Amino acid sequence: CDDFLNQKPQGFVSGDDLNTPENLEKMVISAYALLGSDHWPFVAALWPQGSVRSDDAYKGGDGPNDQAEMHAYEVFALNRIDNPHIDVTWFRLYVNISRANDALRRLNEVEEATFEQKTIRQAEMRFLRGHFYFNLKILFKYMPYIDETIPKDQYNTISNDVYSNDELWSRVADDFRFAAENLPDEQSEPGRANKYAAKAYLAKTLLFQAYQQNEQNQVTGIDQAKLEEVVALCSELEGVYSLHEDFAQNFLEESENGTESIFAIQYSKDDATPLGRIDWSHKLNYPMNPEFGCCGFHAPSQNLVNAFKTDANGLPLFDTFNDEDVRAGTDDFQTFTFDPRLDHTVAIPGHPYKYSRYTFANAWVRSPQIYGYYMSLKETVSPDDASFQKAPPFMSSAKNWDILRYDEVLLWRAEALIELGRQDEALPFINALRKRAAESTALLEYDDNTTFSNYHIDEYKPGLNCNWTKDFAREALRWESRLELAMEEDRFFYLVRWGIAAETLNTYFDTEEEKASFLKDAVFTAGRDEYLPVPLAQMNLSRNLYKQNNGWQ
Amino acid sequence: QAMVTGRVTEAGSGQALPGVNVSIQGTTSGTVTDADGTFAIAAAADNVLLFSFIGYKTITEKVGDRSTIDIELPADVSQLDEIVVTGYSTQEKKDLTGAVSVVKMTEIKDMPTANPMRALQGRVPGVTVTADGSPGGGATVRIRGIGTLGNNDPLYIIDGMPTKNGLEQINPADIESMQVLKDASAATIYGSRAANGVIIITTKKAKAGFSKVTFNSSLSTQRYTTQLDMLNTQERARVYWQSAVNDGVDPSNHQIYDFDWEMVDGVPVLNQVILPEFIDAQQTMRPADTDWYKEIARTSLIQSYDISIANGGDKSSTFFSLSYFDNKGIIKESQSKRYTARLNSEYNFFNKKLKVGENLMATHFVNTLIPINDVMYTALVQQTLVPVHTVTGGWGGPAPGMNDRHNPVRLIDDNKQNKGYFVRLMGNAYADLEVIRNLHLRTSFGIDYQTNYERTLRKSYVSGFLSDPSNQVNTKQDVGGNWVWQNSLTYDLDLSRNTFNFLLGSEMIRYVGQDFWASRRGYALEEIDYAYLNPGSSNKDNGGGGSSNALLSQFAKVNYSYDDRYLASVTVRRDGSSRFGSDNQYGIFPAFSLGWRLSEEQFIKESIPVVSNLKLRYGWGKTGNQEIANNATNTLYESVYATDGVWNFDRGTAYDIGGAGTGQLPAGFALIQQGNSGLKWETSIQSNYGVDFGFLDEKIAGSVDYFVKKTSDILIEPAYLAVIGEGGKRWANGASMENKGIEVLLSYSETINDLSFTITGNISTYRNKITKLPDEILGSYPGNGTDKTILGRSVNSIFGYVADGIFQSQAEVEAHAAQVGKGIGRIRYKDLDDNDEINDRDRDYIGVKDPKFSYGLNASVTYKNFDLNFFWQGVKGNDVENSYKTLTDFPTLWAGSNWGRRSLDAWTPQNPNSTIPAVTLVDSNNEGRASTYFVEKGSYLKLRNVQLGYTVKGLAGSGVQNLRFYVQANNLVTIKSRSYTAPDPENPGNAYPIPVIYTGGLNLSF
Repeated sequence: CDDFLNQKPQGFVSGDDLNTPENLEKMVISAYALLGSDHWPFVAALWPQGSVRSDDAYKGGDGPNDQAEMHAYEVFALNRIDNPHIDVTWFRLYVNISRANDALRRLNEVEEATFEQKTIRQAEMRFLRGHFYFNLKILFKYMPYIDETIPKDQYNTISNDVYSNDELWSRVADDFRFAAENLPDEQSEPGRANKYAAKAYLAKTLLFQAYQQNEQNQVTGIDQAKLEEVVALCSELEGVYSLHEDFAQNFLEESENGTESIFAIQYSKDDATPLGRIDWSHKLNYPMNPEFGCCGFHAPSQNLVNAFKTDANGLPLFDTFNDEDVRAGTDDFQTFTFDPRLDHTVAIPGHPYKYSRYTFANAWVRSPQIYGYYMSLKETVSPDDASFQKAPPFMSSAKNWDILRYDEVLLWRAEALIELGRQDEALPFINALRKRAAESTALLEYDDNTTFSNYHIDEYKPGLNCNWTKDFAREALRWESRLELAMEEDRFFYLVRWGIAAETLNTYFDTEEEKASFLKDAVFTAGRDEYLPVPLAQMNLSRNLYKQNNGWQ
Repeated sequence: QAMVTGRVTEAGSGQALPGVNVSIQGTTSGTVTDADGTFAIAAAADNVLLFSFIGYKTITEKVGDRSTIDIELPADVSQLDEIVVTGYSTQEKKDLTGAVSVVKMTEIKDMPTANPMRALQGRVPGVTVTADGSPGGGATVRIRGIGTLGNNDPLYIIDGMPTKNGLEQINPADIESMQVLKDASAATIYGSRAANGVIIITTKKAKAGFSKVTFNSSLSTQRYTTQLDMLNTQERARVYWQSAVNDGVDPSNHQIYDFDWEMVDGVPVLNQVILPEFIDAQQTMRPADTDWYKEIARTSLIQSYDISIANGGDKSSTFFSLSYFDNKGIIKESQSKRYTARLNSEYNFFNKKLKVGENLMATHFVNTLIPINDVMYTALVQQTLVPVHTVTGGWGGPAPGMNDRHNPVRLIDDNKQNKGYFVRLMGNAYADLEVIRNLHLRTSFGIDYQTNYERTLRKSYVSGFLSDPSNQVNTKQDVGGNWVWQNSLTYDLDLSRNTFNFLLGSEMIRYVGQDFWASRRGYALEEIDYAYLNPGSSNKDNGGGGSSNALLSQFAKVNYSYDDRYLASVTVRRDGSSRFGSDNQYGIFPAFSLGWRLSEEQFIKESIPVVSNLKLRYGWGKTGNQEIANNATNTLYESVYATDGVWNFDRGTAYDIGGAGTGQLPAGFALIQQGNSGLKWETSIQSNYGVDFGFLDEKIAGSVDYFVKKTSDILIEPAYLAVIGEGGKRWANGASMENKGIEVLLSYSETINDLSFTITGNISTYRNKITKLPDEILGSYPGNGTDKTILGRSVNSIFGYVADGIFQSQAEVEAHAAQVGKGIGRIRYKDLDDNDEINDRDRDYIGVKDPKFSYGLNASVTYKNFDLNFFWQGVKGNDVENSYKTLTDFPTLWAGSNWGRRSLDAWTPQNPNSTIPAVTLVDSNNEGRASTYFVEKGSYLKLRNVQLGYTVKGLAGSGVQNLRFYVQANNLVTIKSRSYTAPDPENPGNAYPIPVIYTGGLNLSF
């Protein structure tokens, strides 16, 4: 009779069965799979946290209540420690980390003789773990750091204040260092991290670490040695990666895993899954025309569109860009001059949508009375693109999403050089991006060779069109970063890194609220809003072991 | 002496009563009535005839000079001799010591519902039934409140077979009796599954010596009466205009509307709403004024037929029934058809020493799979501006500026071909041997087998800006079931005044379930006759799984009675479950109860003869709950290729590591749960104090019960620290809660000449309180997780801000604490902690969803051939979170939706007394936050049923035993709190509306 009550689990496997070489490879794949497991409360592309929280974008959608949690991000003043999206973000990142740690625990146990890929796979898993901790770091500043050596029953004893801010950055960097030392130059499968991806991510980590912050999140100094290391690491990628000829290639499926892509989330469709392992990060970000149909999120701000304006020299209007608005539905796009990256980044009524035969129209916009008429382009594809996939009521594509791209590497290298006082060495990298931007108009022309907007862009030419001082170079670099990476995840985190989030955003709110009334009550509280709070649920679950972030207590 | 003949019928129904004992008082001579209720007996004029029948009052009649005596036997309300099934055995009602409610099947027998539990709403004190109006007949049944944090469904025992499935799957007309074991002393005999109470159902058997054919039929129409009052096209445009004007935004900056308006003396005035010729850029949809509720609803028909044949012989008896129930729902195309068959038979051998029998039921459901929740929601939010069809006959749908929700008519039309087929076979075969006198050995083997098959076609569509060019066929099937083997030994011992009943038994249950599904896309035709898997050309996908569990139990019970005055009962059950690890595989559940029948004491009998029944009861017992996942004790990994990412995270393990962008992907395993080998039963300990009483020969009768139920080691899946990561979910014994309550039942019956009536009322109440929760999961329940927690409060508490009226002036705005987004016309929130800032510290407990009490009142009147029945049911004192208000009151919260007509009456400087905040396009003040603004009184009183019947009499010679016609109405009257702003507080969510039903029917037996 005892046997009668012994019912075996049906269709499941115990953890002990998964340590064979074949299964170890599978556990590694499992960990990679979470790179693109996205749902709007937390998406790998971090657009709600990195772009909507910045001066680049409005949340979009039906109205402020449509994903009210993101509205709270956007206006800061309404954000709360029990905003559910914050908890989901924290939770999902640890889910991702746990798969990497699970694989690492198994890999540590296996003999090299049994599994000859052991070290490479360990390095890949540490690269992935580094990526997830990097995201926690820029979102929350302080987080419990748990690696595969810590027994699970001790997880609840590890607080988020074990390490200082700087030490935490070092822990993140350690994973990338290990990966850089142990990964091969090339991997036969493009989805796997290689040595250079690890070096690039290490450079990015060290660049963030270099800007030292106090407990009030103010930048107190810049670590020159770290900057030197950033420069050295970035230079190692030279010749291995290069810029695409056309900026557009970074945002088209046919050129994915190309010369500029260093590490990308590999999305797929027609892959024996219900709707494809598509880019769910951006499922809300398509317009409302019948070919798409949902949901009008992530709308470029008026401020961002204005920032693409150029002066008579083809350079940005650092001080006056926002004096006059570029208005949708007018001929402003022909009367002002623009950086061509505008039409790669922003969907503008009357302009072709995503280089296709479809024209973006007012009717494609969801709530113009609230969020205006612009929409985001980089993450989307045209309805007739091979990678497009409907997932009613949403949609997205199998187009990869880059986590590391070579244009960013050039920006980091330039930034480090400028902050090292070597701005002249930085100039060629910034100009390389501007030159490429200038040449990226092939897809922005009508059949009669006229262009969607009136483009006029030039490189910085010290003595001719600018005075390339350190301060000027810094401003140029920051502007270039904004334009090159606009509507991607970076803007907010860069502002925090530079220590200018509060002044930039409060200035932005003061002017933008006239155009976007939902920003009327938006206030960025310096010393608090640089980081999200440790979620209330985690504070409670830890029985207040965790220390709440500054300003959120 | 002369022959006296006559016919005995049931008072009220006029139904013939076979088997009634007719005897001459003071003698041993007597007879019984036959199948037609007729009798013949030789009697003298001065003899007194005594008519007695279990469950009916005994009537005496002096013969006199009559040769024909027709008798109407009134049912005995107290039914003290009624046999009550109490689990593996039976008892007379007068001997009961536990809290057992016997359901009066006659009160609910003609209800036009698939589920008898729906008809029981409000009729049994302490049993809370909630149900929506869906044709399938589901109902939520709660006995004595919420006893646990997980599954609160009671255990049903149908002819001895335990099941957790709802009663919509059996034919109500087959039910002979139904009893509810409410307290632990009664329910403990079912041990590990009894904590939520037990409902015992016995189906009909043929009575020995009689044959009867019964036919019942009814036809009902039902309709929708609880629509929300939504804006029409002109009105919505006006509210939009008002919002824009309030915000100081140009109202013409809208995708569709244009306005002719002006400022008159500083007051904005709207002259005209200007609509375009087409609302979409493709010029397919002209502006409409669609009443979506009208488009999706219908007055629909319920048909119910059942026929049964009962044939009772000396050596065998057979009961056979067939039924058909067809409920076309009030949402177009929604339909549930149910076919049932039953065969109950029994055979006697060896002079009735051995009985062998079986009960067998087959049920077949055909349900039309309309996505009701979506239809209901979209009918609410879809703007009236959208036409049902485009100018070319295609589907209308959302246009620019609207929300991304479907045309509900399309949802109905594109899904009406999809059906689910459910089959359940349930039954047992048993043998009962009387080994020696009063010692019975019984064995029973039963099966309960269910299968569900669905084949659905998802059609391609274009509907406004929503479209999907793909189609898909999905086929799924699950099969599952359990067998039950029960053995029991009962012995009745009668030692003069001491009576004992002994029961000893064992039970084994084994459940196995399996399921699979498959889907394909790329269908050349979108017709259900084509929509099988084979013709699909792409996206072939499939999946499936299985589950199993087992229970092994032993139990024993002793009932003792001394001189019918002192009663006692002791029960113990030992249960073993496969769901628990070896450490805690077995649980032991004891119980005892005591009773004292004061009315049998001489001092009562003599001094207070008005008392016909008085019994004090006390019971104590322990019951269990094992409702957790089958494999909760194991740490498990699962091979998950991918899961659907549309509405949630894809938790799959497949990844395109090779960058091909397509094709079969490599994949791995995911940890899904942590095992907990220390898991054990959740236990409830319940004490019950009861009194049963009857006065004036049971004309007035009733009972009062008070209970305290403490549940501990509640099985929960606690939230866990995020760092634990994937598969951190685990089952644990964590929480405790307490329920206390009182249940009162009172009835009064009277017969005056041809008029007889019975009034039965009940009232019950319970208070729920969480008494223990692990600190770390306090935040999973209403509260702020730190200093304001659910501990000591009902699990059904509501937590939020206190809305404190609307700011009328700038001075008021400035005087108030810092509140982001405050302004004139906006909601003022109370600064509960007086820190001059409105933040999350200003939230508190603002309501409890539990009713203060629930009640029901039934009145039955019979007069000659007529019978009339009223039934009122209500709840009082509960708070409801009226989430509809986000749609009806706040154009800003769902900018692209239709809004409620309440928004026309929103606050403006010209309308300062409104309690509805000013309409706005941007909710800066975060007015959708949980607050008292959304908490409303949920009290209601409904006239659940009113029925008028007419029995045709004088058919005795024709072979017809009974013929009755009736008309009835359900849910005819609703009285609700004035402060409740949506139509039906009983149905506050988006569930299937509860219809008003009118029925006509007949009962015929011969």
